[in-house]
Amino acid sequence: MAEEKATTEDQKKMEERSLSVFASEKKEDITALIIAFVLAALVIITLK
Amino acid sequence: MNEEKRSPVTLIIGLILLAYALVLRSQNAALAPEGLVALADFLKTGKTLGTQISVGLWSGIIISVVGIWNLAMPSMTSKFDKLVRAPMAGIGMIIALCYITRFYMEPLIKVWGKQAQPALGWDFSSIFGLNYILLGIILGIVWVNTIGIPAWMQAGVKTARLAMKTAVITLGTMYSITELKYLGGLSILMVASFVMGTAIFVLWLGKLAQIPRPLTGVLAAGLGVCGVSAAVAAAPVVKARGVDMAYSIGMLLLVGVVGLFIFPPVAKMVGMNELQFGAWAGTGILNSAQVAAAALIFDPHTIETLKVAEIFNITRILFLPFIVIMLAIWFAKGEEEAEGKVNVNLGKILVDKFPLFVLGFILMFAFSSTGVFTPKGVELHGKSFYSFKIDEKKEVRTRDLKKIQTMMESGAVTDAKVKAALEKLVADKQITSAEQIPLVLKAQDFTPDKDMKKVFQDADKKVQTKPETMEMMREYMMWLFAFGLIGLGMQITWTTIRQAGGKAAMIGAFTGVTKAVLSFFVCWLLIKGSI
Repeated sequence: MAEEKATTEDQKKMEERSLSVFASEKKEDITALIIAFVLAALVIITLK
Repeated sequence: MNEEKRSPVTLIIGLILLAYALVLRSQNAALAPEGLVALADFLKTGKTLGTQISVGLWSGIIISVVGIWNLAMPSMTSKFDKLVRAPMAGIGMIIALCYITRFYMEPLIKVWGKQAQPALGWDFSSIFGLNYILLGIILGIVWVNTIGIPAWMQAGVKTARLAMKTAVITLGTMYSITELKYLGGLSILMVASFVMGTAIFVLWLGKLAQIPRPLTGVLAAGLGVCGVSAAVAAAPVVKARGVDMAYSIGMLLLVGVVGLFIFPPVAKMVGMNELQFGAWAGTGILNSAQVAAAALIFDPHTIETLKVAEIFNITRILFLPFIVIMLAIWFAKGEEEAEGKVNVNLGKILVDKFPLFVLGFILMFAFSSTGVFTPKGVELHGKSFYSFKIDEKKEVRTRDLKKIQTMMESGAVTDAKVKAALEKLVADKQITSAEQIPLVLKAQDFTPDKDMKKVFQDADKKVQTKPETMEMMREYMMWLFAFGLIGLGMQITWTTIRQAGGKAAMIGAFTGVTKAVLSFFVCWLLIKGSI
């Protein structure tokens, strides 16, 4: 149990090392997806 | 984010960006824009003034508004505060650095390169590929290792990877189906052999050098697939500890950074084309961000190399689940041998750690394939957009049409389809259909005359068009890449690099170099043609 906890903490530390403002990589990916589609929508609305 | 309390930094940066854009826009001598405009003339950046103004205005307004908000309500507790308000000062600073590298440093170095050419005999800015992408990364590395990242900038720097991912998803709009099919087929073949080959090689080397299995496991994933993200994804299945990850990340960054600086000049020296270099970078460079950086350093003005490199990189990322499964089996086998038990939920890891942005890229490609970005009458063929609407401006010059006629009459064109396409070209005075394009271009094979070949190329160019929507998407994407790569530079600290020590570094360096050299020869010798 203690080992498992240590592994989780290590995992957290290493995600911190990968330097992101997001709590998880998945949240970062979803945000990137939303921004990309919002940008695309803005371009279509303003230029097409 | 207590350190942001009543800090005017965000507002100041926002106002600087806004003021810069307004000064450029005002054309008012009292505000001394002539100095800036004259400087733009000297640096030959006059054509970019429109972009500079619009990006400056929009970013300046948004950052200033957030700056006022931060001053008025300094307490930041919600998720929105953490993700938007806190990083804004750093985001503004990196945007300012993008301006400096793209509109001042790169053009200035280009001018110096040209001025020094007669004395040196070569243009150093072109030989070293000193464009804004490379300069941005160097600026980031120098900045973090000298000035350091102040507290108000830290959250902003951490948005760099988000910018890179958004840029890669946006890149999905730039491919045609033909291109993706061709590159996809080529990349699956190359990537499958290199990813699996590297991972197996590292596992074998790790056993040989008696490196702990968790460390060997993350190294195999990192060196085989796509660097840091792959190492992070593989960590739980091989029970990697923080220290294993620190070593691996340090080593992967070090090998990646070295590759980033070495790949482009080597490719230029041997005369690789965009397809060969894109394939090499996408296979041989370890980290996703550095693949994009190398492709943009090689060719920052068109995005062709970037497109090839990213397809290879994305194909590589798609192999991540297979590597994770392979490592899980390998690790479980080792544990069983040691009479231990492995208790990991492989399915959950695969779902949790699979990079969703890759799916975003595919989704964006599917979305753009519906033609939503292209104006009516515009079609994407190969890597260019075409409009076949009859227009005087698209017509081939009369004397060139006569040359084509004479060439056909001489019997030089032996292919019936090419001949028919040329006859149609002479009749219509311009290319009128997509099917005609490859045939007109193929006509070059029937003449040794360079001027005649140019006539066919010009006929093709005349019907090409650049849709405003695609140009805008491309511009957004380049800003995102430039932003992301300055931030990436700011994450490369000596401390991280120093962590890449011992046997792990030896294996990393040896594998990294082997992979780079092998993939170089495969791409250089076996990949022919262009996209």
